[in-house]
Amino acid sequence: MQKYEKISITKEEVVPVALKMRADGVHLAMIHAFLDDDGTPDVSYEYDVGGGISSYTVRGEKVLPSISGIYDLGAEWPEREIMELMDITFEGCDTSERLFMPDNMLDGQGQILVTPMDELIKKVHGEEE
Amino acid sequence: MSYIVPIGPYHPALEEPVHARLYTDGEEISDAKVFIGYNHRGIEKLCTQKNYIQTLVLVERVCGICSHSHAFSYAMALESIAKMEVPKRGQYIRVIIAELERLHSHYLWLGIALHIIGHDSLFMHTWDDREAIMDILEEITGNRVNYGMITVGGARRDISDETRKNTLEMLDKIEASMIRIKDMLLTDKTVALRTQGVGVLTTEDAIRIGAVGPHARASNLPVDVRIDAPYSSYDDFEFEKAVFPTCDVFARVVVRVLENFESIKIIRQALEMLPKGKINLGTKIPKIPEGEYMVRHEAPRGQLTYKVVSDGGEFNKRVSIHVPTFKNAPTVPTMLKGNSVADAGLIIASIDPCFSCMDR
Repeated sequence: MQKYEKISITKEEVVPVALKMRADGVHLAMIHAFLDDDGTPDVSYEYDVGGGISSYTVRGEKVLPSISGIYDLGAEWPEREIMELMDITFEGCDTSERLFMPDNMLDGQGQILVTPMDELIKKVHGEEE
Repeated sequence: MSYIVPIGPYHPALEEPVHARLYTDGEEISDAKVFIGYNHRGIEKLCTQKNYIQTLVLVERVCGICSHSHAFSYAMALESIAKMEVPKRGQYIRVIIAELERLHSHYLWLGIALHIIGHDSLFMHTWDDREAIMDILEEITGNRVNYGMITVGGARRDISDETRKNTLEMLDKIEASMIRIKDMLLTDKTVALRTQGVGVLTTEDAIRIGAVGPHARASNLPVDVRIDAPYSSYDDFEFEKAVFPTCDVFARVVVRVLENFESIKIIRQALEMLPKGKINLGTKIPKIPEGEYMVRHEAPRGQLTYKVVSDGGEFNKRVSIHVPTFKNAPTVPTMLKGNSVADAGLIIASIDPCFSCMDR
């Protein structure tokens, strides 16, 4: 079984952790996010540390600092995708153009992942009308 | 003269839709941007409304070429949450199918790359060999893609002695053929002119952007999840990382050819050492406790990550899928800069993109 450990951090620790990982030559495997049933955001920074994944998780923060200045496009693309799919913002990440969703979908903002399916269908049909 | 040249979403060089915007100075590309999402089907959203068996069927259809990789990774994530130990024989069967899938994927890409280069006779030769691999996959699984070989707790179907024998014979044939193809690729003038020094991604840029898989290994970055973070008995087998130092399209061709030989090695070892016993835990409808896990799998294009969150209920709470193309596509603008517009199609294709996977 591959190793996986979850470490809770605060919003203020996101950048220092990223800087340390980058300085140590650690690969950022991915940034994952989801919104809990009550809308609480859960954002994890998955670092490949010694062959296992150390998941540094921030819970309950809808606005986080971007680490695209540290991990370049390897962080920018996941951050942009998360911002387009969920109500989570990464301050400092380039959002001048959409990466993933069409510009005219859902009023130019995401949240596909937490919109109930029937409401999503209504919104799409509403746009077509 | 400056131009903005759009490539895609529909383009003869692209198997799937993506939009690349090339900013050119005459024939030379000065900058580029990539836009994705044209094949988005809401699979992660659908996963939250499916139970674990339905999700296994669904995620296998994220991609046709690396279908087994998706099912494999999702099952591994569930087994890790539930602390299930897959029987050895089941692990070996999973590896055999994964490596056969890698073979057919690399052959597919090689043929397409040769077709773009303009070497159609080698393209047809590689796809002819690929048919032998597809025939064996059909013999083992009943299908050429979307194999349905994974269940939570092991493999769904066993491999008979006759299929074992047929697979070993097929491997001998395609290995001999691949040696000839390799020699032709390394000495052909057309291939050399079209690929050497084209679409360079330096090792530094590969590390900076976070490239994975054969794309990274072709930039002299020795990363391979099968060796760096072994799973499903990969550490039982002897094989090497295929790395090449020239960082160009030629390196990406060579790395995939070398990986074919390593995959053949792994499949031979797995078939010869195939343990006796059960192929799965016999779990029909898995009960997954509350928890989360992230797994990584070396898919044909590189590191595939699956993060699954379970609340102990019937459905997935969250399935987050990120594919190697999502890590490698950001390198495209860097590789395009300074190259000619005529080479853009080949450079984009050289990362072996799978936009269906990426957009899910």
